[in-house]
Amino acid sequence: MTLTLSEAGQNVVAGTFGRAMRRAGEALGSMCGQVIEVQTPQLQRCSASDVLVMAGGPESIVLAVYVGITGSLQGHALLLFAPPDAHRLAQILLAGLLGPGELPMESTTDPLSYDELELSALQEAGNVTISAFLNELGMHLHEPVQPTPPQVVVEMAGAVLDAVLLDLVSDADQVLAAKTTFNEGGLAIDGTLFVLPRADSLRVLLDALGAIGI
Amino acid sequence: MTLTESPSLLVAGIGEMVLSSSADAHLVAYGLGSCIALAAWDPRTKVGGLAHFMLPNGPANNASPVKFIDTGLDTFLRALEARGAVVSRSTLKAAGAAAMLTVGGGLAIGKRNAESMEAALKERGLNLAAAALGGNAGRTVQLEVADGRFLIKSLSSVIQL
Repeated sequence: MTLTLSEAGQNVVAGTFGRAMRRAGEALGSMCGQVIEVQTPQLQRCSASDVLVMAGGPESIVLAVYVGITGSLQGHALLLFAPPDAHRLAQILLAGLLGPGELPMESTTDPLSYDELELSALQEAGNVTISAFLNELGMHLHEPVQPTPPQVVVEMAGAVLDAVLLDLVSDADQVLAAKTTFNEGGLAIDGTLFVLPRADSLRVLLDALGAIGI
Repeated sequence: MTLTESPSLLVAGIGEMVLSSSADAHLVAYGLGSCIALAAWDPRTKVGGLAHFMLPNGPANNASPVKFIDTGLDTFLRALEARGAVVSRSTLKAAGAAAMLTVGGGLAIGKRNAESMEAALKERGLNLAAAALGGNAGRTVQLEVADGRFLIKSLSSVIQL
């Protein structure tokens, strides 16, 4: 069953997703010990190729942390960073955990190369950020939302996103995409959080918010 | 060897196809993960086409003519013939169908795409001359209409089929 959201219904979803995305930004900020600016989230119904454009184009290289959303609400969440930003974030995260002498050397020759510690720190950052989003959403739901274990990949954005998009477009031409950008101004780190819910599973959220039928 | 940036670059977005008989045309599909790109090139008429398929099966779709392999393959083959290619003597090459994510079902879609493409071609008496399918790396592909070379770029390499 495909749920068609009215404009009012979409506004309710957008408001709830917006609050959850701000929580996600706060979680990322507290992990880094920094204040993170969260841009006003966008929620839009768009085609698969529009989503690729929103991610910077299919060939742009990203470090992506992917978390599947299962349970009462289903879909996909991705936290994306440009490789140099991901390196800066990893260094900040690791500096908080390790002594200065124990820090891995920042790669200057190959921005696409990450050591295991960096990948692990970034995977955890994605996991914490996306879990904060889902926890906020879960406060409105009567049934649990469960994240899958996080997976981190460094790849072309199109390649990372297409499996996710294929899961959503098999019986629809458009997907519902929620996106926000996190900025840590002083450290010049930008990250993009994408949440792509299965439209047919949004009914449970609308129902819980009392927005069904509006 | 690098992929070409030029005004004669024609891009097949997700679910789209591009065709050309122009010798300076480069047909490109960017950032393939689980999707599968099929390149066709007729060595006699020098007509080339590149289709960026998304899924094994589904209804014919005007907005994305090659979204599905089962309904989109004939659309692609007919478009090639209309452009002057003879499909039976054309060289067919494919790439993509990778498993980018091991969680969330990404694995199954790429594999199903590869199997569906091979089966759909076989049903029509066609075969792939070369392919780079599966694995877990993203790919950008480029068909050179001048000579039928099929270039496949990943983050770590560029190969030619």
